[in-house]
Amino acid sequence: MTDNLISTLEDFITTEFLKQPDRELKPDQALISSGLINSLSLVDLALFVEDTYGVQIDDTELNAETFDTLAELASLIKSRNQE
Amino acid sequence: MTIHDVIVLIGLSLFLGWVTRKGQRKNLLLLGSSLVFYWLQPSLPLRYLSFWLPTATFFLVILSWVCTSSYQQRWERETIQTAGFMTLIILMVGLTRYLGLGNLFATLYPPRLLRVVVFLLVTLGVIAILLRKETFSNAALWGLFSFFLLLFVILKTPYFAQMASRMWRYVVDQAPGLARAEDIKWLGFSYLTFRILHTIRDRIKGRLSESSLKEYLIYTLFFPAISAGPIDRIGHFLRELPEDQRSFEKDIIQGGRRLVIGLFKKFVVADTLSMIALGPENVSQIQSTGGAWILLYAFTLQIFFDFSGYTDMAIGLARFMNISLPENFNKPYRRQNLTQFWNNWHMTLTKWIRSYFFYPLTRALRSKGTFSVFGVLLITQISTMMLIGLWHGVSLGFVIWGLWHGIGLLVQNRWSTFFKSRLSKLELPSKLDPWLGGVGTFLTFHYVALGWVWFVTPHLSQGWEVMMWLLGVVS
Repeated sequence: MTDNLISTLEDFITTEFLKQPDRELKPDQALISSGLINSLSLVDLALFVEDTYGVQIDDTELNAETFDTLAELASLIKSRNQE
Repeated sequence: MTIHDVIVLIGLSLFLGWVTRKGQRKNLLLLGSSLVFYWLQPSLPLRYLSFWLPTATFFLVILSWVCTSSYQQRWERETIQTAGFMTLIILMVGLTRYLGLGNLFATLYPPRLLRVVVFLLVTLGVIAILLRKETFSNAALWGLFSFFLLLFVILKTPYFAQMASRMWRYVVDQAPGLARAEDIKWLGFSYLTFRILHTIRDRIKGRLSESSLKEYLIYTLFFPAISAGPIDRIGHFLRELPEDQRSFEKDIIQGGRRLVIGLFKKFVVADTLSMIALGPENVSQIQSTGGAWILLYAFTLQIFFDFSGYTDMAIGLARFMNISLPENFNKPYRRQNLTQFWNNWHMTLTKWIRSYFFYPLTRALRSKGTFSVFGVLLITQISTMMLIGLWHGVSLGFVIWGLWHGIGLLVQNRWSTFFKSRLSKLELPSKLDPWLGGVGTFLTFHYVALGWVWFVTPHLSQGWEVMMWLLGVVS
């Protein structure tokens, strides 16, 4: 389940934001603090997560402290789905 | 803030750091912060206002807490005790008019005690009425939010500030014709507003951490962060408040180290640079392009050392009291692009603006899907940066500075998006990375430096003149 989640998120980020569909992202690779995805992409990522998984991410949570890697985002989605 | 003020604050922080480990932590932090608010309030030419502004600050903070707290929390015994405690502080400071403590609060000169008592009765009455209200609607909370914004705009707009000064002069029987925009200097209001607005908005969204009145007051008034931030979030600050067993010696060493760095940055480096830094008074003395660049470089470094020095001092003083404040600067001038610069300059302000303005606006525009990526970026980047500019003051110079950075961010975003995939296909050797990074840092530093021209010169014509000198157009 987590692997699928990470893989879907990875595809979305590499295709939509990085424009490099073949690029591989490690689950623990920093996305926000490293500047890999910018603030506009972060909003698009939140909208994608909300539409796809029905999980709400508040604007105050769009920062590296809440999630910075694919693994952290996947874990956030899972924990919110269980609530 | 003078070195004298800082020395007093160091003494107070060390004393509070030591004594609060023995108990009464929250009461003593609140007492210390409240008294510092009165003590640091600048002396004003407007009669009694130096006393009323900190007093009004306390009232506004209590009002915000009442509107954002839960009904159950409001009626806890501690709330009444804290309200009584604040009333006592206001009365005691009011009494300094009669007690011959003029030197302690030399700038205040409180009004007659009867007026203070009447104010307290009225405000306590208002608060008592509001306390009975079970819950506040979102409309009421947005109303409070707008009220703070309005107050902010009045204080930051020279025309309105002058009008407010004139009105106050009518009230206290002073010559209205002498009113100036600079008459009203409200200690800590900018940062206080950001903290309060954050709590109101989070309350509306149902995301606000529960706090007692005492904790809310300490959060908003915490004295090391009054005048130059950083802007902490209430949830993080509350986690720092409880007493723990951390040793005072350790905090003295850590806080002291940070404090010495801050003192050196502010009072040695920044104050020395200020002698040759670009400013409205030396624009007319520029006689060469090289000279103009020296002034600009000096200002560029001065503003960083000054501001980050204050942050270091705030973090150091807070550390003495076993409180960890968030970082505000992280080597901003060494960043390779403008986005990274803004991720590392005045970080707590940019994070605030991003959370409460940029992201909601971007989300709204992206959800509708009617705007292109470029259109969204154009609107959001420019309005966000202009808002940051206006936060410093409502003037054309700050608007242009905001516009300068908004356009810079937009161009940099589109540039990097366009080249990201293309560059990756080229597979450039990795030994080129430091060189490309160096070019990025050089360009970013100079773009930011040129932006300061608009920030520092109050008149457009002066800014333009400096730009011409810098670009070698005037000779």
